Order: sequence, then C-alpha cells, then structure tokens
Amino acid sequence: MTANKRRSRVLGPLVVVALILAACGGDSGDTTTTAGEATTTAAEATTTVVAETTTSAAAETTTSAAAGGEAVEITAGDSITATFLPKCTNIAVFPQANSGAEEAAAELGSDPAEFVGPADCGDTTGQIEFMTNAVTQGVDAIMLSNNSGDQLDAPAQAAADAGIPVVTWDSPIPSATGESVFVAQVDFDETGQVMAEMARTILGDDGGEFAILSATPDAANQNAWIAAMEEVLATPEFENLVLVETVYGNDVAEDSVTAALGLVDSHPDLELIMAPTTVGIVAAAQAMTQEGLCETIKVSGLGLPEEMAPYVESGCAPEFALWSFVDLGYLAYYVAYGIATEQIVAEEGATFVAGRMGEYEITADPTRDAGLRVLMGPFSKYNAENPGT
Amino acid sequence: MREWAAKHRWESILIVVLAATIVVNVSLSPFYLGFGNFVNLFWLSIEKIIVVIVMTFVIINGEIDLSVASVMGFSAAVMATLYEGGEMAFVLAILIGIVAGALAGLLQGLVITRFGLPSLVVTLAGLIGFRGAARVLLEDRSVGDFPEWFERIGQQTLFGPFPVALVLFFVGLALAWIILERSAFGRKVYVIGNSADVARFSGIEVDSVKVRLFVASGTVAGLAGVLFAARVGAVQGTLGETYELDIITMVLLGGVSIFGGSGSMLGVVLALFTVLNIRNGLGLANIDGITQTGVIGLLLIGSVLVPNLARRYRLRRPAPEAMAHGPP
Repeated sequence: MTANKRRSRVLGPLVVVALILAACGGDSGDTTTTAGEATTTAAEATTTVVAETTTSAAAETTTSAAAGGEAVEITAGDSITATFLPKCTNIAVFPQANSGAEEAAAELGSDPAEFVGPADCGDTTGQIEFMTNAVTQGVDAIMLSNNSGDQLDAPAQAAADAGIPVVTWDSPIPSATGESVFVAQVDFDETGQVMAEMARTILGDDGGEFAILSATPDAANQNAWIAAMEEVLATPEFENLVLVETVYGNDVAEDSVTAALGLVDSHPDLELIMAPTTVGIVAAAQAMTQEGLCETIKVSGLGLPEEMAPYVESGCAPEFALWSFVDLGYLAYYVAYGIATEQIVAEEGATFVAGRMGEYEITADPTRDAGLRVLMGPFSKYNAENPGT
Repeated sequence: MREWAAKHRWESILIVVLAATIVVNVSLSPFYLGFGNFVNLFWLSIEKIIVVIVMTFVIINGEIDLSVASVMGFSAAVMATLYEGGEMAFVLAILIGIVAGALAGLLQGLVITRFGLPSLVVTLAGLIGFRGAARVLLEDRSVGDFPEWFERIGQQTLFGPFPVALVLFFVGLALAWIILERSAFGRKVYVIGNSADVARFSGIEVDSVKVRLFVASGTVAGLAGVLFAARVGAVQGTLGETYELDIITMVLLGGVSIFGGSGSMLGVVLALFTVLNIRNGLGLANIDGITQTGVIGLLLIGSVLVPNLARRYRLRRPAPEAMAHGPP
C-alpha cells in the first residue's frame, strides 16, 4: 500500500463523517445574514398567542376604513388549494401563523393550505424551490413570508404570470414584483413609536439611560424598527431618554445573554434594555433575573406573552408588545382566499370584511416604493393588567 | 445485459433506485410528469450540478475540493463589488469574477502540490477563507439590480425551453464524459487516483494534473457563482453556502470512491438525476424541508456504506476481478 493510499484511508472516513453530520444536522446554530429575519424568529414556546387582545384593535380599524364604498364580506365558496410558505418551519411563530390560516380555511369551507418551507431560516434561497413547486402544482394562491429579499422576484413573477395570487405576510417582497398584496403585521414606523413610548413609561418622565439588544446586525425589520425609534427619540417629548448603545445577540439565546450582561458592565447608569426580538427579550430578562438586577434594570421590547409571563409577574419586564401571529395567518388566508375566489380585487381602495377580524382596506404601501398593503396592526401591549396568557 | 450489470454493479443499483424514484413520484404527484417540471428540476439546482461534473474529476484523482461553494460566493462577490463600483463594463466584471475563481483554484492547487499538504485541509481553509473574503467584500448587503440581459441569461430560455445554464450543463457534461473516459488526461486522472506514486514512476506529471484540476474546479465554481447570481438576480456574501455538501454527496452517491481511483461519469449522472428527482418529488408532494433533508442524509449514509461494505466483502474473497478499480 502506498503512502498516498494510506493517507486517504485516514482522510476518507473523516470526510464522510463530516458530510453525514452536516447533511443531517442542517445548520441550526447558524445566524446567517438574512434580510428580514428576526423578531419573527421567536423561541421555542408553542402555545398560541391569545387573540383576545387584538379584537379591540380590529374594531378600531373598522371605523377608520370603509372610505372606498361598501366593504365586501368574504364568504365561504369553493375550496381552494394553497401554499402557506413561511421563512422556515422550525420557529414557533410560523406554525402559530399557520394555525390562524387553518382556522380561516375551516371557516371558509376550504381545505387547509399546505404548510411547507425551508427547515432552517438560514436557508435564504430555499424558498425559491418551494415557490417554483407551488407554481408547478398550479395552486390557487400562495401565502409567503419572504426570507429572500429580491431573489423571489422571478418565481413570484412566474406565479403572477400563471394567474396565481401571491399574498405576502410578515415580510414582503421588497420590489413587490409578482406580489398581489402584503398583509403587514404592524406599521414599521409605528414599531419605533411603540418602543419609544414603552421606554418612556418604564423610565418615567425624568428619563434615563437605556440600550437596545437586537437580533443580527443585518436583520432588515429590526433595523427599520430601530431607525424608526431613533427618529422618535429625536423629538423633544423624548429628549430625556438616552440611547447609549445598540448591541446584537444574533437571535441566539446564549449570545443574547452575553450581550445583555456586557451592557450592564459597560453602562453603570443603565436603567432599561429594549429588545425588539422575542429571543433577545427573554434572554435579557433571564440575565437580569439571575444577576438580581431587576430592581435597577428593566427589560422591554417585543416578546411572546407566554414566554414573558414570569418576568411580568416578577416586575422585571413591566411592559412589552407584540402582534398575534395567529391573527396574521388568519388575515393572510382571508385575503388570499378572497382574491383567489375573485370576491375581492387586489387594488388600492378595495375594502373587505375578514371573518372575526373585521373590516380592512387595501392601500398603497407607504413603506415601499411599490406594492399594496393591508395593515393588520396595531400592537398589543402586555403588562401586569394584561399579561396575555 | 447481465454482463454489463455485473461489471457496473453500482450503476445498475442506481438505475433501479432512479426508476423506483420516478415511479413513486408519478404516483405521488400528478404534476411531476411535465416538460416544465422537468426543466425546473434541473434549473433549481443547476449551479450545483455544474460543479458536480468537475468535482467528479477531483475525487477520482484522489483529492477533494471543499472550497467550491465558497469560491462560488467569492466569484459572485467580486463580480458584484466591481459592478457596484459602477466604473467598469459589466462583462468585464463577470470575467474578472470567473478569473478570481480560477486563481482561487490555482492557489489551492499549488499549495497542495508544492507543500504536499492534504487537499482536505487546504480546501477546508479555502472554504473558510474565500467565504470570509466574500463576506468582507459585501458585508451584509445584497447586491442586485444587475443589467436586464444578465438576469435574462439566468432566467430566460435559450434554445426552446432551455435556460442558458442548462445548455452549459449538458455541453459540459458531454465534454467531461469524453475527457474522463476517452482521453489520455482522463486515464492519468484515474491512475493518479489509484496511486500517485505509481503514476509518478510511470512518468505522469502528477502535480501538473492536480493543479490543472484545481484550476478547473475553481473556474467552474466561479462560473457557477455567476450563473447563480444571474438566476436569482442578487448576490449576498452567503451565496451558495453549504452547497459543497450537496455537490460531494452527488459524486459519492454516484459510486466514485472517496479514496480515489474509481468511479464513472455514468454513475455520477445517475446519482445526480436520482437526487434531483427525489427532491422534486418530495417537494411536489408537499413533504416538509426537514424530511427532505433527512431522506437525502439517509441516501448519503447508504451511498458510502453500501459500496464500502461490498468492497470489504469482495476483498475478503481472493477474486482477481475485485482488484479492478479503473473505468470500464
């Protein structure tokens, strides 16, 4: 046996083991740069966000809409085939959204949409394949939370060319290519306003120092929210709130705890950590609780009520906010069903009634250069009076 | 027929697996049989299967190139950065991107041959290094808005219903087949893979062949990166990440020995068809991504276990034919 052969005898199995591990494990620890990954990337809790808190919100929308004539009530008709395509399937909020879509399908007498998607949110091009397959299958509608920036333009256009409405939810197609309408959870500017208001509530009128613990440095939605918040902070009403630093925990629990503790060390006068991510807010609350710092440093941001309940009770997180992913999926299905069954047309000014959630209007999307939007909003704020669980 | 099957055991197994896959797919989904789907099936993985062709040579030669996916990202990042600068004709940016891939291959080939380092280690460094370079070039941005003609190359059809990349794949495959199994160079690749020392004593310029293969690997990876950019219309620093695993999986599943020296282009093509059809069928049947990954993982384990167990079994029996490693 030659030296070369012997070497490959050793290396061969190594390669094989590495390949098997990689092929089977996926890349779960990976926090790859993904436009729009994030608050949506919640943690492991599986219970459902209570819908109750948002019904009052829907009622408000009802009064403000209705400008464009009689609203169409979307009613049960033919069963449609549809694909419900999340950023990835392994994060709690996406199955929650799908359960909302299933609820809507049941009300409309339709078969539930197929819930398929990449296994891992780090897989940004995986959605292309699912979109293409959905077009091949000739489904009646596609509901998409876009994780691929502009890379879905071509398959979304292919869907549009085939007459398949593409309703985006949670995360839109930036250029709106091939997209019928975007069902937005909240107004992205409003997120900044809400976070600033929560900070003021917690810090009081005399203000104080606070820091932001975000997801990844390149998460598009978090960055948009933080930018919106900074704009609000620049106004005189919020001049007493001092944002000292923004740090990133990559939506990984351990990294977020480390980042939160780092903030405590470097800012002795810190009074609040604001985390616009469901992973970061829990990590920060855990870290403050373990270090016994809850009296001096509070935690707020965007969080899942079922994960935050103990910290609301202990006073560590007096107030935080989120929208209901169940409602978001429910509304997205109503919109997709309405368009697919030609009860509504995706155009500016169209108004419709979506089951239990009430009336909505399709408008131009003010946050993008092109595209239409249905705004679900507003936030639900959770605190001791309304723990949401 | 039986004689062929005896000589090409692994290929025969693959034909059976492929046939079974097709039958299952037809029964699972009414959308599977259709020309459009057939084109999509290749098109969705086109960059991977283009690199599979050249990876076959590298592995038969007894080496491995783990850096291909990173080089894809690197080439595309170089192209995108130059394009973004706006000073340069885009065609030139594309060419420089591909040349960057070739240079990446050359560098690794030289390090491997001059310093006698294992390609596993050198290209692992390449995997990390060139990915890092791509990430540094693009940071966290996604560069898009390429000229329309470029995106058309990736998305529109050239001859009939075939996109450019698909035509490139089939032409490249035909050329590779001839070079590997019908040319002196291909013969050298096998001989070196069986034993580099024997090859050296026989007067084969071992190092030169190896370097040329790594340059080819880098060039093709660079081309694949550019085609990827054209197909999806955007370049990120993460472009192609982890593709090396799928690429090597297809080559190994094709019966190419990870130890070098044996394997055939037919086997690799059959493996590639099988993997693509399994993915496509599972996708059309709305099987979730986790299960898809699991199925491909099982396939990989099987593909490395079965031939190695079979070889061990055959080696125990002193049958002279068992020693025949080369191509048919």
